[in-house]
Amino acid sequence: MNEVTALSQFRSWPEFSSGALRNLAPPALLVFLVGFIALFVPSFLSVQTLTMVLADTSVLFILATGETFVILLGGIDLSIQALASLASVIVAQLLPSLGLGAFPVAIVAGLLFGVVSGVVHVRLRVPSFVATLASGGVVAGLALLAAHGRAITIEEEGRAHVDWINASTFGLPNVIAIAVLVGLAGFFILRYTRFGRYTVAVGAGEPAALAAGVNVDRTKIIGFAISGTLAALAGIILAARLSSGSPSLANQLLLPAIAAVIVGGTAITGGLGSVGRTAIGALIISVVRIGMTFIGVNIFAENIVFGAMLIAAVAITIDRSKIAIIK
Amino acid sequence: MLAARSISKSFSGVQALHNVSVAIGANEVVGLIGENGAGKSTLMRILSGTQAPDSGVLTLDGAPLRLRSARDAARHGVGMVFQEQSLLLNLSVAQNIYLGQEAEFTRLGVVNWRAMRKAALRQLGKIGVDIDVAARTADLTFAARQMVELAKALTLEDSTDRPLTILLDEPTSVLARADIDILFARVRSLKARASFVFVSHRLDEVLEVSDRVYVMKDGQVVGEYGAEKVTAPQLHQIMVGRGLHSGYYKEAQQASPRAPVLLQAKALGVSGAFRNVDLAIREGEVVGIAGVVGSGREELTRALGGFLPQTSGSLKINGDIVRLTSPEQAVKLGIGMVPRERRTEGLVMFLSIASNITLANLDAAMAHGMIDHRRERAIAEQWLARLRIKAPNVDVACRKLSGGNQQKVVLARWMTAGSRILILDHPTRGLDVGAKEEVYELVRELSAQGVAILLLSDTLEETIGLSHRVLAMRDGEITANFDAAAGQKPAQVDVLRAMV
Repeated sequence: MNEVTALSQFRSWPEFSSGALRNLAPPALLVFLVGFIALFVPSFLSVQTLTMVLADTSVLFILATGETFVILLGGIDLSIQALASLASVIVAQLLPSLGLGAFPVAIVAGLLFGVVSGVVHVRLRVPSFVATLASGGVVAGLALLAAHGRAITIEEEGRAHVDWINASTFGLPNVIAIAVLVGLAGFFILRYTRFGRYTVAVGAGEPAALAAGVNVDRTKIIGFAISGTLAALAGIILAARLSSGSPSLANQLLLPAIAAVIVGGTAITGGLGSVGRTAIGALIISVVRIGMTFIGVNIFAENIVFGAMLIAAVAITIDRSKIAIIK
Repeated sequence: MLAARSISKSFSGVQALHNVSVAIGANEVVGLIGENGAGKSTLMRILSGTQAPDSGVLTLDGAPLRLRSARDAARHGVGMVFQEQSLLLNLSVAQNIYLGQEAEFTRLGVVNWRAMRKAALRQLGKIGVDIDVAARTADLTFAARQMVELAKALTLEDSTDRPLTILLDEPTSVLARADIDILFARVRSLKARASFVFVSHRLDEVLEVSDRVYVMKDGQVVGEYGAEKVTAPQLHQIMVGRGLHSGYYKEAQQASPRAPVLLQAKALGVSGAFRNVDLAIREGEVVGIAGVVGSGREELTRALGGFLPQTSGSLKINGDIVRLTSPEQAVKLGIGMVPRERRTEGLVMFLSIASNITLANLDAAMAHGMIDHRRERAIAEQWLARLRIKAPNVDVACRKLSGGNQQKVVLARWMTAGSRILILDHPTRGLDVGAKEEVYELVRELSAQGVAILLLSDTLEETIGLSHRVLAMRDGEITANFDAAAGQKPAQVDVLRAMV
C-alpha cells in the first residue's frame, strides 16, 4: 500500500459529512430559528428580548449541563427534575430560619442524591436509567412529604436572600452570569481535568478505559454527583425566580433538558459532546419555546415539540456503526 | 459439487483472499489448513453466504451461485458449524436445533413444542448421540454443544433436496481427544449423505479425517494434496512456508534476561479457572504460555491484569506482595495489558491517538494540575515517529488506523505509562504479515529494555519463537516448563504433548 492510498482513507466524505452535521447543524438551526421568529416579530431581536431569552434559558442550561456529564459517560440521569424540585422546597422552607445557609443545604442534598444514584448504578450494577428513575421517585416523594404536597411561597423576609439572584449587574441579569460561570466551569472540567478526560474515555469505550487503568466507577459517581449538584442549583434559581418552592416546580424540565443536550449535538451513546454544544441546544429549546408563544402556538403543545425534536436529533445523529443493537 | 473460483476479498486494505479456487466433491471430506490469518475463516464465510466476495464466483454443480445470506446458502444445501458456537445458551437443545425454523411446527400461531422435541430427537439420532433435547443448552458440555451444532446443520436435509455441504470451522479446537474421535466417527458415517469441509490448524487431525487437503497461506491456496500422499510435517512446511523461523521471530535479537524478578506468582489460583501456578518473570524475559481454550491461561492473564481477583496463592510485583483488585491498581504497579480484543478493550476507538497514548498516564501530559494539550500532542508525535505509526496526525480517531498501527498505539500507551511488566494477549491477532513482524521487533526491543513480558499467542510457533521460556498449561495447571533460548527452541510436538 503506498502512502497516498494509505492516507486517503482518512478523508472519506461520509465521515466528514456526519461530523459536519453534528458540528454545524445545531448553530445553523439556532440562527435559522432566531431569524425565522424575527421575520414575524421584528422586536425579537431587541437587546431587551434577547436578554430575556438568555435569562429564561439559564435554568434549563444549568440542568442540561449536569445531564451532559452523565450522557457523555454513556448513561442518563432521569432524577434531575425531582432533585431541582426538592432543592426549591428546601430553600423555600429553610430561608426563614437559616437565611443564606439554606442554599448550601439544598446544594448538598443534590450532591448526595447524585452520589447515591451513581453508587447504586456502579456498585449494584443497575442501569443508570433505572437507578435514576427510582432515585428520582424517592426524591420526588421526599419533596412531597417535606412540603406536605403544597407549594411554599417564599415570604418577604426570605425574599431578601433571593433578591440577588433576580437582580442585574450592569444591566445583565445575575442568572445569566451564574449560567455562564457554570458553563465555563463545565467546559474547563471536560477539557483540562483528569476527570473530564476519563469521562469522555469511559463514554467512548468503557472496557478499553478500564483496561487502561481508569477508575470507571469513581468517574461515573462523580458524573452523577455533578448532575445532582447542578440540578439543585437549577432548582434554587427556579425557586428564586418564582418566589416559591414546590415538589412539582421543575416537573416539566426533564424532557427539555435532555433534548437540549442531544439537539446540541452530544451523542446519546456517550463519549462525544461538550458543554458548548449543550449551550447551543438549550438556546434552541428556549427559542422554540418563546417563538411558539410569539407566533401564538398553544404553550401546552411545547413538550410535543420537544419530544419530537429529541427523537429527530437522536435519529439523525446516532452513529449506527457504533451500535449494533438498540435496546 | 460446490466450488469457489478465483475468489478475492479484502478488508479495509488488507487482502484476506487472493484468487482462491477450491472444489468440494460429493461425499467428500475436504480439509482446509493454514495459520491464523491465512484466510480460512473468510473463505468459510463466503462459502456459507455470510460474506460476499469482491470478485470471483461460487458454483454449484457447475452453475453460478450467488449467496445473499446464510439462509440463502441453506436453501442450496450449504450449512456451517461455527468455530465460536452459535447456539443460544438460554434456549433448549430442541429450540436451538430448530431456531429460525419454528414455522414448521406452528399451527394457528402456536408452536407445537412436543413435535419440535420429537423432531430434534430424531435429528440427534441421525448422528447417534444421546442428548436430552429439553435440556438448557448452557447445561451441556462443550463437546455436546458441538454435536448439537452438527445436528442443527443437518436439519438442512429436510429443507432441501440438494446434496449437503457442511462446513466445520475449527470444530476440534476446544474438544478433548475422546470427543474428537466421536466427531470424526460421525463425519465418516455421514459421508454417505453429505460432503464436509473441515477447517483446522491441527494437521494430524486434518489428515486423519479428510480425503483431500487444501493448504492456505497469506490469503492464497498454496497446495492441494490427497490425504494419503502427504504427511503432517510436509504440510506444516508448506503451510508455514519458511524453513528458518529464527529470522521471522527476530531470534538473533533475543537478549538474555537480567537477574531481577519483576513478577512472581506462588501457587496462584482463581477458583474454577486455574490453580497452583508458579511463575517468575525476570527483567527482559519473555515468558510464553501455551494452552488450549479452557486451559486457564486466559484467566491467568486476566488475574495478572487485575480483572479477576485471585482466590489462592500469592503474587509479588517488584518484590512486594500484592493482591490485585482492579486494572487501575495493576496499571499503577506497572503492569500493562495488551488485550486480545483490540477494538473493545485495547483502545478507545473513538478517541484520538494522543488521548489513547496518554490515557494510562495522564500525568505525563499535565502541567499545573491541568491537561496541557500541546504537551500531550508532543508526546504522541514522538511515538508516531519512533514506532512509525502511519497516521496523518495525532488527533485522528484510533478506529481509522490499521490493526498494526492500532497495536503500536496500545504499546506506546504502556511505554508512556512506564510499564515494566507487559501482558501480551494475542498481540498479533488479525494483523497481516508485515504488521506482525513489526510487533515482533517491538517485543524484542521492549525485552532488551528490560520489560518483563507474558505472552499468549495464536500459534505455538509464535509463542516458542518469541519467548525465552514456554510454559504449557492444561486444565488449569502448569504441566511443563520449556527453556527456549535463542537457537535452542523446543520442538512444537513436545509443547503440544504437554498441552493436550
